Amino acid sequence: MLRFALTRIVMAIPTLLIVAVSVFVLIRLIPGDPASLMLGDLATPASIADLRARLGLDQSLPTQFGIWFSHLLKGDLGISINSQEPILPLILSRFWVSAQIVLVAVFFASLVAVPAGVIAAWRQDSTLDLGLVGAATLLLSIPTFWLGLLLLLFFGLKLEWLPVVGYVSIGDDPWRGIIYLIMPILTLFLHEIGVILRMARASTLEVLRLDYITHARAKGLSEGAVLWRHAFKNAFGPTWTLIGLVLGNLLGGIAVVETVFTIPGLGRLLVDSIFARDYPVIQGCMLFVAFCYVLVNLVIDLCYPIFDPRVTAQ
Amino acid sequence: MNRVLASAFMLAAMAGPAAAQSLTVSVAADVRSINPGVNRDDNTDDFVLQMVEGLAGYDEGGTPGPLLAEKIDVSPDGKTYTFTLRKGVKFHNGAPLTSADVLWSWNRYMDPKTDWRCLTEFDGRNGLKVEAVEAPDANTVTMKLNAPNALFLDALARTDCAMAAVIHKDSVKPDGSFDKPIGTGPFKMGEWKRNEFYTMSAFADYVSPKGDGKIDGYLGSKRPLVKDVKFLIVRDPATVKAGLLSGAIDMGGILNSDVDELRKAPSLNVQVGTNAVRHGLLIQTRDPLLKNVKLRQAIAAAIDYDELVSAASADLAKPNNSPLYPGSSYFGDVEKQGFKYDPAQAKKLLQESGYKGETITILANKRPTAVSFPQAVVAQSMLQAIGIKAEIEVLEWATQLDRYNKGNYQMQAFSFSSRFDPALGFEQFSGNKDKQPRKIWEEPQALALIDKAMVVADKAERQKLFDELHKRYIAEVPMIFTFNGVEPYALSKRVKGFEAWQSKQRMWEVTLAN
Repeated sequence: MLRFALTRIVMAIPTLLIVAVSVFVLIRLIPGDPASLMLGDLATPASIADLRARLGLDQSLPTQFGIWFSHLLKGDLGISINSQEPILPLILSRFWVSAQIVLVAVFFASLVAVPAGVIAAWRQDSTLDLGLVGAATLLLSIPTFWLGLLLLLFFGLKLEWLPVVGYVSIGDDPWRGIIYLIMPILTLFLHEIGVILRMARASTLEVLRLDYITHARAKGLSEGAVLWRHAFKNAFGPTWTLIGLVLGNLLGGIAVVETVFTIPGLGRLLVDSIFARDYPVIQGCMLFVAFCYVLVNLVIDLCYPIFDPRVTAQ
Repeated sequence: MNRVLASAFMLAAMAGPAAAQSLTVSVAADVRSINPGVNRDDNTDDFVLQMVEGLAGYDEGGTPGPLLAEKIDVSPDGKTYTFTLRKGVKFHNGAPLTSADVLWSWNRYMDPKTDWRCLTEFDGRNGLKVEAVEAPDANTVTMKLNAPNALFLDALARTDCAMAAVIHKDSVKPDGSFDKPIGTGPFKMGEWKRNEFYTMSAFADYVSPKGDGKIDGYLGSKRPLVKDVKFLIVRDPATVKAGLLSGAIDMGGILNSDVDELRKAPSLNVQVGTNAVRHGLLIQTRDPLLKNVKLRQAIAAAIDYDELVSAASADLAKPNNSPLYPGSSYFGDVEKQGFKYDPAQAKKLLQESGYKGETITILANKRPTAVSFPQAVVAQSMLQAIGIKAEIEVLEWATQLDRYNKGNYQMQAFSFSSRFDPALGFEQFSGNKDKQPRKIWEEPQALALIDKAMVVADKAERQKLFDELHKRYIAEVPMIFTFNGVEPYALSKRVKGFEAWQSKQRMWEVTLAN
């Protein structure tokens, strides 16, 4: 198990290195100069050159990369061009906000969707199955920004139960903080139910067709025992992997929900920085998201042997 | 369970509406810094200039006048400006304003370490140099220039220079780094929570330039009448609408396309202001095709300005082909004469130009707050109507700006930021393309007229220069201005006294009913 874990951790390092180089190069391939964007139509060639020099953009790409990477190795992601803040604390504070939404939404979505998916598979082609698959498809098909706006209009404007704009940190005021997070969490929760339910159903269906399930039934085990003791454990593996992917995806892609609900999270920071061509922050955010992605998948991999001991044996 | 839910929702509802006398205003973006004139944008200037003031500021028509100064005297040779300070003015920390504070602030701005946005406007690099600043007594400041300059006061009043705001030396920490603005403005700095909100509170000891309740740019009555103002950062226009309708937001800028809908809301008033931003179509006069003046004239005659402006502004704006803002005191009868929509004449000019059906590409962007794309679409169809093959290339804004700076385009649907003085308004798009590829108009005689307008101070003489420039611009069509910016705001009916002006959300003289 230790060797398995170490192999996985070592394999993550080149992934992060490739991400670092790709992020650095790709950002610089995007047309649009951050210096001229910051100065707008007030810019003069002298002021643009001056700003480019101060931002280090007048150096060659390898020099820029060398400087950036040497700082990176010391854990220094640099300073934001826009806000002049150190980037790592900025990202961590925003990550905490996004993580609260994503983790809670995915946790509850899994809690609901996994059993629902297993039951749908067990009752394949029944009205219950059709209803669950239909609901999942519907939730999957609604874009999150649209779902968010619908919730905002319904709970915020129509019923006036929840505040429509603003954000209060849970650290500042726990109760109000939770109130402000309900709608963003609900939006992601509803969307992710669709994703996870379909995966849980598909993997359970696959397992239910295997010989050992027929054998278990032939032994006279009850349907409940067959389903939860034998089928579920094996079907949960792929779903568990998917949950890891969902978590990683959401950390990078929560920007839409954060924009609709005015939440100052990591996704919004990334999008705002892209519009402002704030290179250091874009690089920092993407590296951080990649790091989270690798970390989440590492945790998923390390947990995998719990469902399938053959993994460590290999 | 129901009881728990009900109490939760009641508490949530309590979290929504703002308390009386506390105004919540939505803004689309965070401020970049609170250091006047440093790391700024329009949004930043708007906030900072509610807290700090300079010796001179703009009046409602964009003419500079005394603000912290009671009067400004100019020596006969036009090189020495004497500012007599207003009496009784205090900083937010209670300290009285003296000429020593003006000197300290000026020296700080002129120190390159401060990174003041407008250093190059005063250190000689752009022609104007302030050679000496002195304080002969506690109430007087003199500034000596290298040469007479008609734009010196305008440069001092510029909002992107933060009015060269006079701040107290306690605004910086002992190590010289900036802490927070301690100015003389009607509001004091409150709290700034990055990417969530920023606030300011009323300065009880504020001494208004004029106390008659009549606002006049930055120079009129500026009494702070609400206890505090919270600027809430809301990027999504749909969320702004929901916030306004729910009462969680008291006022905020809205999209042109939302005006009609929000006018029908019983709890809201809608106000549409205009500003000196100029929208238009840029033409690359060095393009092999568009260097042909007849073709440019044909393009100008092909556009139905009433229709284009109506479509691009959701029927909120009126056409203006002049580079001058209609609120300018220089905007006269000559400036009212624009391009004439005449399809028959356009077709004739097109034929005379020798146009052979070549494609003309119009660059545009789709930012929700910009009118670039709608302008491009309408212009495209009008050009096609006279036989010009026009295509639109939609770019992300930073990319379009890059192409603008490099002069790499045929046509663009573009907008220029505000310029109050007409000389600066013309200079913004005129110059030698070899030195600055972003410049559009490079006709030598026009450039000479602009240079002259930068120095001549006499108003009548300047008017003649601007009239001449306008006529040349209409004849040569280096570009086509179409209309000025509109800025619709939706306000709770409890908000009184707000007047939108030049994209600045001035919070003085604004009251909030209970």
